[in-house]
Amino acid sequence: MQRSRLALVGAIAASALAITACSGGGGDTDAAASENAISYGTTDPQLLIPGRQSVAFDFNMAVWSPLTFLNNDGSLDYVAAESVETDDATTYTITLRDGWTFHDGTPVTAQSYVDSWNAVAYGPNAMENSGQLANIVGYADLNPAEGEPTTTEMSGLTVVDDTTFTVELSGPDGQFPLQVSQAMTAFYPMPETAMDDLDAYNVHPIGNGPFEIVDDYVENETIVVTAYEDFAGDEPTIDQISFVPYTDEATAYTDVLAGNLDVNGVPANRLTQAEGDFGDRLYSFEAPGISFLGLPLWDERYQDVRVRQAISMAIDRETIIDVVYGGTYEPATAWTPTIEPGTPEGICGEYCEYDPEAAAALLEEAGGFEGTMEIYFPGGGGLDPLYEAIANQLRQNLGIEATIDPSADWAEFLATRTAGDIDSPYFSRWGALYPSQQATLRVFFIQGGGCDNCIPFYSDEVAAAMATADADPSGDGTAYADVQELIQAEFPAVPLFNETYSYVTSERIAELVTSPVGNPTLREIVLAD
Amino acid sequence: MTGTARAIGSRLLELAIVFVGVTFIIYAMVFSLPGDPIAALGGDRPLPDNVVAQIRAQYHLDDPLWLQYLRYLGNLFTGDLGTTFQGASVAARMEARWPVTITLALTAWAIEVVVGVLLGLVAGLRKGSMLDRTVLVGTILATSIPVFVVGSAAQLIFGLRLGWFPIAGTGDGWPTSYILPAIVIALFGLAATARLTRGSVIDTMQSDFVRTLVAKGLRQRDIVGVHVLRNSVAPVLTFLAIDLGFLLGGTVVIEAIFNLPGIGQMLFEGIRTHEGPTVVGVSTALILIFLVTSVVVDLINSALDPRIRA
Repeated sequence: MQRSRLALVGAIAASALAITACSGGGGDTDAAASENAISYGTTDPQLLIPGRQSVAFDFNMAVWSPLTFLNNDGSLDYVAAESVETDDATTYTITLRDGWTFHDGTPVTAQSYVDSWNAVAYGPNAMENSGQLANIVGYADLNPAEGEPTTTEMSGLTVVDDTTFTVELSGPDGQFPLQVSQAMTAFYPMPETAMDDLDAYNVHPIGNGPFEIVDDYVENETIVVTAYEDFAGDEPTIDQISFVPYTDEATAYTDVLAGNLDVNGVPANRLTQAEGDFGDRLYSFEAPGISFLGLPLWDERYQDVRVRQAISMAIDRETIIDVVYGGTYEPATAWTPTIEPGTPEGICGEYCEYDPEAAAALLEEAGGFEGTMEIYFPGGGGLDPLYEAIANQLRQNLGIEATIDPSADWAEFLATRTAGDIDSPYFSRWGALYPSQQATLRVFFIQGGGCDNCIPFYSDEVAAAMATADADPSGDGTAYADVQELIQAEFPAVPLFNETYSYVTSERIAELVTSPVGNPTLREIVLAD
Repeated sequence: MTGTARAIGSRLLELAIVFVGVTFIIYAMVFSLPGDPIAALGGDRPLPDNVVAQIRAQYHLDDPLWLQYLRYLGNLFTGDLGTTFQGASVAARMEARWPVTITLALTAWAIEVVVGVLLGLVAGLRKGSMLDRTVLVGTILATSIPVFVVGSAAQLIFGLRLGWFPIAGTGDGWPTSYILPAIVIALFGLAATARLTRGSVIDTMQSDFVRTLVAKGLRQRDIVGVHVLRNSVAPVLTFLAIDLGFLLGGTVVIEAIFNLPGIGQMLFEGIRTHEGPTVVGVSTALILIFLVTSVVVDLINSALDPRIRA
């Protein structure tokens, strides 16, 4: 009797183990059994559909095909579209390719696009990416400031025939063909059935792309997509991709090292060791991302342009890139990342070059700097080493009492920056979704452009110059040089780095191919023999 | 028996009070976190204002705290634990994640019980021996290294270099996927279990009744196996039960390192994204586990030791 009680405790523990033993979770890579299959590490997306996703770009680019595709050399390919044409840069005629179908077999028509864009833009649907469609005439009607919209359609969209529709924009915009390129997912088409039940569609998305989803999406489980048999575009080099969710990117990185996972992004805290670990299986892709050191222009100490320039010249970008980013970033020399066509490289000139003596002299000339600096940035994201390095350099080279002040989390940082409640330099970066200077300049320098107070310098002059440059029908981006000159004269922030997105691969991958959006183009991946 | 019933009844009442109090405190804490969780949902890419406004309205985030809490509590009684900001059901998410955490915790706990008690017993019986000292030093070492260091090191050595265990995920099922992370967490509780058992065994061995048993000529195996173990196990059991509660709630770091989609991860993400329903749901469940285990421990203790019985 006495013994049996102890035994009972043991038995309960043992049976509980047995009960739970059969349950499985996510993170299994078994699906990658086929020869031509790869596995790809992701964050568990939760939201998969183009109008809502924020961390499922790679999945979206596999399951959908964009209207246009921007190549590394800056040329534009037409994928689902045969042409995107305009006479006045305001009304565009989009002609679709014939014979394209969704994965459910239904044809992709002009009506599919128009219905999809209307559904994404429709205010009450509260789609996270609806802002991408904001320049289409009628967007405002679907998103009234007060109350419910009285219509469900944007008046700027007109179906001409099965494969043709027109898009009227609220102003001339020569960059529109780039705005419907690979990473602008809000412009992807959805089949008719999707609109009936968007939640169900999120569980089993159906696209027009090279790969189709196999099973319903289950949170934290691997998403498997296989090549779509009736795909009308170029055949992909692989026939299956498994998107494996990881909660910790460093773990995914280790799994690639062990050969259990084929491709994964390199987390910030592994950048310095990635080359040693992977050699030529480390890929650093030039991306349309740029980092600035934001300055609190509402604080009187930052009013003199020379103070701002001095801070910029006191920062040794090359050293920081080596120490913090393992040499993968490039120093910024303009107000947009180099990969964006037409960027006036070197417009920043001496002010983006490290010269501690000149910086100190310039600050002296401007009357010095009173008080302290507590560089503010979102905490918990591995940014501490970067801002510590910057603070150190400002302390050494300018004698400013500079320290760091990480926020508790992203939400707190965002609220503080949006409110302009900072009196020190701060985190400011943007990764554009289409590599055009327009995308970067608009979010930073147009009020309400997307990155509120990232660079709190909003002038009518810049806005007017932007409108002129946007209207340039050539669309090659050279027109934005005028905007950059206006900004350069004011020097409202410190350009830091052109960003790269880094990936590592297992030995099964011979070559990872990219495009100027910075993500790998998985459908063109080259497998090792 | 009525005494026991009354005891259980009053514990249940306590439980209800603690439940309401704690859920309110946690709800209020999440509510008071700075920043707008909805505006931050899009990360770097801010959501359009009307989308933010709509989601805020959908989740009643503009209501005062007390109203939000009452609504939450009301839904709770109808079995609705609420949804995440992406619209996923918190209850369904917890249901999917509990098995992972429970499996991990119980595996770790089993290792702790078996190895910890065994080490403690041997060390206690051979007090002062080489073995005793080795256990002593080993346990100090085990408790003094942070869990993420042990976890990452174990992952690199046994997962990457030697390839004995998978590095991440639950794809290989139990036990393969769970053993390594379970050993890592078990190390900490194991050290404490061993030392507790050792002390307890030494105390018991020195007690009068053991001397009597020895004098009566009982075999050493029976003395240790039946009498000493049973009398030494009560304090250890209390610790082990409380530790099981810790294991169920405190495996966030290990779940992250080994990519196990468990409850700790869910709680962590909930806090990071300021999701009241997730944080309150998970932490309430954890508190309930603590409360229930403490009741169970009391009952088992009184069963094991007649002196505690009322």
